[in-house]
Amino acid sequence: MAASPELPALEVDSLVKRYPSLTALDGVSLSIAPGEIFALLGPNGAGKTTLIGVVCGLVKKTSGRVRLLGHDLDVDALAPRRDVGLVPQEVNFDPFFTARETLRIQQGYYGRPRDEARIAQVLEALRLTSKADAPTRALSGGMKRRLLIAKALVHRPKLVFLDEPTAGVDVELRRDLWDYVRQLRAEGTTVVLTTHYLEEAEQLADRVGIIDRGRLLLVEEKSRLLARLGERRLDVRFREKTALPVGLEGTLADDGRAFSYVERAGARTATEVLEALYAAHLPVADVTMAPPRLEDVMLRVLKETRA
Amino acid sequence: MNVIGTRTLLEKEVRRFLRVPGQTILQPVVSTTLYFVVFGAMQQGRLVEGVPYVAYIVPGLVFLSVANNAFLNASSSFFICKIQGTMVDILVAPLGPLELLTGFILGGVVRGLLVGALTWGASMLFTAPHLAHPLWTLLIVSLSAWVFAVFGFMAAQWAEKFEQVNFFPTFLVTPLTFLGGVFFPVKALPELFRAASLFNPVVHMVEGLREGMLGVPASSSLGVWLLVSLAVVATALAWRLLASGYKLKT
Repeated sequence: MAASPELPALEVDSLVKRYPSLTALDGVSLSIAPGEIFALLGPNGAGKTTLIGVVCGLVKKTSGRVRLLGHDLDVDALAPRRDVGLVPQEVNFDPFFTARETLRIQQGYYGRPRDEARIAQVLEALRLTSKADAPTRALSGGMKRRLLIAKALVHRPKLVFLDEPTAGVDVELRRDLWDYVRQLRAEGTTVVLTTHYLEEAEQLADRVGIIDRGRLLLVEEKSRLLARLGERRLDVRFREKTALPVGLEGTLADDGRAFSYVERAGARTATEVLEALYAAHLPVADVTMAPPRLEDVMLRVLKETRA
Repeated sequence: MNVIGTRTLLEKEVRRFLRVPGQTILQPVVSTTLYFVVFGAMQQGRLVEGVPYVAYIVPGLVFLSVANNAFLNASSSFFICKIQGTMVDILVAPLGPLELLTGFILGGVVRGLLVGALTWGASMLFTAPHLAHPLWTLLIVSLSAWVFAVFGFMAAQWAEKFEQVNFFPTFLVTPLTFLGGVFFPVKALPELFRAASLFNPVVHMVEGLREGMLGVPASSSLGVWLLVSLAVVATALAWRLLASGYKLKT
């Protein structure tokens, strides 16, 4: 059965993975729509990679169900994997082959006839063309990581898992990858992303899931989540020692020259606080407004659920 | 079945060992050829079962080349996938046990047959070529390569260190080979070993090959059926291990 547009790209129901001394996934249920970019966030050991491992056939589940591109993995685990790509956390490469040969092999593994044009396109997109015919062992660390991404995409998957794709890579590759992920979304590819760089998730994700100790704590649209739990931060520096108007919330530094205010849902907005400072004719020298950050949201959610 | 995937895996296996021919082809041919030099010189003029000794050991040495190289190719290639992390590529791809076994085992069979053929070619420097029953020879040599490639594959799946991959050749394959009639007829063994040799698959492989190449009848007509049974059972076991994800999936 082929995945139709209305079917979720991935459906996970009550998924449990137990190891002898650890429950890595504790009843995770999740649905990811076709064409969306879903960021799965959580601290180390939260269960992100285990979840991806179960879906991709690297980890055996203890119980629960997984439907991948419309296929129940208990019924047919192989057919849907023709349309899945995975960028694993750990860089791997086969030193016997060049980058181009590696991509040919990868295309073949996925049952695709050789498509040199597609290989050239992916090499170009990941800036590997100049090293396409070099042995993979001769590639730099960043280039090996690019090749890893190219391998996951060369067979035109409908669903791509990016498990910490930019861990330890330079800014240039990170930006390149972000651009490429946006391009994938424009082409209708579903992307599941785990990352420690929460800025990455802020930039790319449509929806966000936060997982901790094997439990999925929340799943929400990124913009709604930031609006609901995000904290916009206002920092103001004064030219001279200042006292705050009575009733104004926020924190004034001991020297009276710096003021900070964290905006939360339901409270006075940062803009209103700033207006109040100007209305009181305080000697404002500099103003910085930081938007809500997923990092703060995640830490807040983790703190509240662990309390 | 993922036909393109299987073909790709097999091609990759063959290209991999052809990339290092000195190590994977030349070295085993040279080391086996040394047996001809040493044993041929020592036993010059001796006849065994009516055949000159140098000619008599050709099937056994061809078998040694086939078995060792089939085993080594399947075991080293699959184990290296585990070590260098490319196992992830194979496990995530739509390649099931059928595709994986076919690709890796045929890769081992191809290398085994290639090195075996070259060993046979090298033997012609020392004795005239003999090929009494070509199809029978091909059947026995292919069965032998298949069985040892399956053993190599299972050893690699079980092993966690390179040392463990070498456990099988050292403690199982070598004793079976040296007691398996490679260098002498098993009839020459003491009674106890002779009786035990019926259960040694190498005996049936070597005798089958000797029958195919030299026309010397095997001691038991059941040998080929034992080999076919062994190939089926070993393949089924390898299939089961692979399907279970033993030491591959957590």
